[in-house]
Amino acid sequence: MIPIRYNIRSLVVRKATTIATAVGIALVVFVLASALMLAAGIRKTLGAGGRPDTAIVLRMGSDAELGSTIEESSVPLILAAPGVKVDEHGRPFGAAEAVVVGAMGKIGTSGVTNVTIRGVTDDATTFRPEVHVVAGRPARPGSDEAMVGARLLGRIKGLEIGQTFELKKNRPVTVVGAFEAAGSAYESEVWVDRELLRQAYNRQGFFSSVRVRLDSPTKFDAFRAGVENDKRLGLQALRETTFYENQSEDLAKFIGIMGTIVSVFFAAGAMIGAMITMYAAVASRQREIGTLRALGFSRTGVLSSFLIEAVLLAALGGIAGAAASTAMGFVRFSMINQASWSEIVFSFEPTPQVLLKALVFGCGMGLVGGLLPAIQAARTSPLKAIRG
Amino acid sequence: MTLTGLALKNLARNRFRVALTTVGVAVAIVAFLLLRTIMSAWASASDYAAKDRVVTRHKVTFVMALPKRYYTDILAAPHVKEATFANWFGGKDPKHEHEFFATLAVDPTYFSVYPEISVAPDALDTWKHDRQGAIVGSVIAKKLGYKVGDRVTLQSGIYPGNWPLTIDGIYTSTSRTIDQSTILFHWDFLNDSMPVDRRDMVGWIVSRVDEPGRAADTGVAIDKMFDDRDTQTLSMDEHAFGASFLGMFSAILTAINVISAVILVIMTLILGNTIAMGARERGGEYGVLRAIGFLPWHVALWVVAESLFMGLAGGLLGVAIAWPFVNRGIGPALEENMGRFFPYFRLEVPSMIAGVAAAALLGAAAALIPAWRASQLRVVDAVRRIA
Repeated sequence: MIPIRYNIRSLVVRKATTIATAVGIALVVFVLASALMLAAGIRKTLGAGGRPDTAIVLRMGSDAELGSTIEESSVPLILAAPGVKVDEHGRPFGAAEAVVVGAMGKIGTSGVTNVTIRGVTDDATTFRPEVHVVAGRPARPGSDEAMVGARLLGRIKGLEIGQTFELKKNRPVTVVGAFEAAGSAYESEVWVDRELLRQAYNRQGFFSSVRVRLDSPTKFDAFRAGVENDKRLGLQALRETTFYENQSEDLAKFIGIMGTIVSVFFAAGAMIGAMITMYAAVASRQREIGTLRALGFSRTGVLSSFLIEAVLLAALGGIAGAAASTAMGFVRFSMINQASWSEIVFSFEPTPQVLLKALVFGCGMGLVGGLLPAIQAARTSPLKAIRG
Repeated sequence: MTLTGLALKNLARNRFRVALTTVGVAVAIVAFLLLRTIMSAWASASDYAAKDRVVTRHKVTFVMALPKRYYTDILAAPHVKEATFANWFGGKDPKHEHEFFATLAVDPTYFSVYPEISVAPDALDTWKHDRQGAIVGSVIAKKLGYKVGDRVTLQSGIYPGNWPLTIDGIYTSTSRTIDQSTILFHWDFLNDSMPVDRRDMVGWIVSRVDEPGRAADTGVAIDKMFDDRDTQTLSMDEHAFGASFLGMFSAILTAINVISAVILVIMTLILGNTIAMGARERGGEYGVLRAIGFLPWHVALWVVAESLFMGLAGGLLGVAIAWPFVNRGIGPALEENMGRFFPYFRLEVPSMIAGVAAAALLGAAAALIPAWRASQLRVVDAVRRIA
C-alpha cells in the first residue's frame, strides 16, 4: 500500500487548492450540522416538558392547550379517574390551568409577537419539579405578579424583572422572577395567577388543560378509558410525552427536511469542487503515478491512495465545519410554533450524533467526489506517464 | 485576435474542468434561486397586500373575539367605505383527518371587501340564500374532491358539534395573497348555533378605506375609538399585518439569507480554485506573452475575463435548470399543498437576473487573487518555471 504520508504531503504542497476545497466542504458540513442541531433543539425543547407518568387532558379534537376548553365542573371527574396519584395530603396530584396567548412587543423591532401566558396555581411548581427560579423570586399566589421563562428575558418588551405588562387595560402585572425548566417550552412562557388570567380574559368557569400524575406510566390506559368513556365530557387524554411529540414533530421535520435538501444541493456543489481539485491533482502527478506503478504498486493501490487523499481532504473540511458549528450552540433561534401559535425560543443542540452525522456526510462527499479522478489515476499506463 | 478572444480560447483548453466548474456554479445558482424564491414567496403576502384594507383585532390576543357592535361602529368611522367580519372556525373534515385548511365563518359582505375572490355570480347568489351553504377554494376542492352540491360535515376544535354544510360554489383567485384552500360559510349559521352567552362575537373586522393612503391613519383612528371601551383593538393595514406575521418568522428568514450567502461563498471558492489552477499551469505561457510585449494588466484581464465567462455560463445554466424546476415542478405543487404559506411560489425575473449577475460578478471577484499573482510574475521566473 502507498503510505498515507504521501497523500498528506501532496495536500500540503498544494496549500491554496487544498484550503479552497476544504473550506467549501467545511461550509456544507457547517450548514448541515446547524440544521440538524436546530431540529434536535426543537425536539428537546418541545419534548422536554413531557413525562411518561403524566397525562394531559384536552377537549376532544384539540391538538393544543390554546384551543381547548374544559368546564370547571369536569375537573373533579378527571381527578377521580382511575390511576391518578395521590399526594402526601391525600389530594389527587393534578394541575388545571388556563393557557392563552398575548400580543407583546419584541425588543429591537417595532413588531409584536405572540407569547404564551399560562394561568397557574401554587401547585404548578410542585407538579413540575424541574422548574426552579433563577432570578428574582417566585410570584406570590393570588397576586398581580408574574414569573417569566428565562428564555424570554431580553427578548420581549415589559418582561424584564421589575417591569410591568398589561394583561388587560388597567390590569398591570409585575414581573418578579424568572425560571428555568430543563430547557423545555415552559421557558418561553409567562406564568401568572390562574384566577387573574381567567378574569382578565373572560375565561371564568373554563380551563384549557388538566394534567395529572399517574401512579405509574402503565396506569395510563386505565386513566384514559376512565376519562374518554364518559362521552358527555367530550374530553381526550394523552400521555404527556405523546402530546409534546405531536407538537414538535412537524416543526422538527420541516427544519430537518429543509436542512437536508439545502445540504444536498450544497454538497453537490462542494463535491464538484473536490472533483476538480482531485482531477487536477491526478493530471499534474501523471509522472508520479507512473513511477509508483513502475515501482510495482498495483492499480488498486493507486486507486485507494487517491481515494484516501480525497477523504482526507474532505475530513479536513468536515472537522473544521463541525467544529465551527458547535459555536451555534450559543445562538438562540426564536420561531412561531404552529401548534401553539406562539413564539418559542429554541437552541441549537450540538449532540455527538449530529456532529458525527455531519462529519460522515462530509467524508462521503470526498469519497464520491474523489472516485472518478481516482479511477482515472488507476488507469494511468506507467509507460506513457513516465515518458510524459 | 482580441484580448477577450484569447481569454475565451483559454476556456477551451481544459474543457472537462471548465465544464465541471460550470456545472458546480449552476448547482450553486439553482440552490440560490430556490432560497430567493422561498423568500419572495413568503414576502409576497405582505408586498402585494391591498393598500386600502385595515384589519382590526383584539388588542391583547387573537384568541379573544370582538363584540359584533364594533362592526357597526367601524362602518360609521370616517373614511371607511365598507367593512366585513369573520371568525376563525378551525374546521376539519373527519373524512380527511390530516388535511389542513382554513375555515372562516363570514358575512356576505366578505366578498365585496375581498373582490380578488372570484365566485360565479349565480353561485354566490345561491350561497347568500342558503343558510348552511359554503364557498370552497378551488385548490382544496380539487384535493378533497368537493363538488358543487356536495354535503360536507365539518368538525372544529373551537366550536363543538357537527357542522353540516352544502357546497354552493367554488372560488378562484389570481391574486398572490389569496389562499385558495379556504372554506367559507355563513357567520349567521355559526352564530345562531351558539349558546346565547357566546353569540354576537366576531374574530376580526376588515374595513376598506376610501383612499389607499388613509389606511394607516384610519387604523389609528379606529383603535382610538375603542380605547375607552371594555375591549381594546389593534388595527393594522393589510401590509403591516403581513409584515408582522413575517416578523414572527424573522429568524427563519435570517437563516435563509445567511444560507444564500454561504452558497455564493462556496461557488466563489470553486471558481477561484479552478481559475487559480489554470493560471498556475499557464505561468510559462504568461511569461512568454509578457516577454513579447503584453503588459501585466493584459495578463490580469485574461484571467478575470476567463473566470467571468465561466461564472456567467454557470449562472445561465443554473437559471435554465431552476426555471422549469420551480415554475413547472415544485411551484405548483407547493401552491397546492402549502397554499396558506405560499399562495404564489414562482421564480421571478428579478431573482433570475440577480442569480446570473451574482455568478458573473463573483466569478470576476474569484479571479482577483490569481489574476494579481499572474500579473506580478517576473518574466524570467515565469519562463524558467516548470509547470
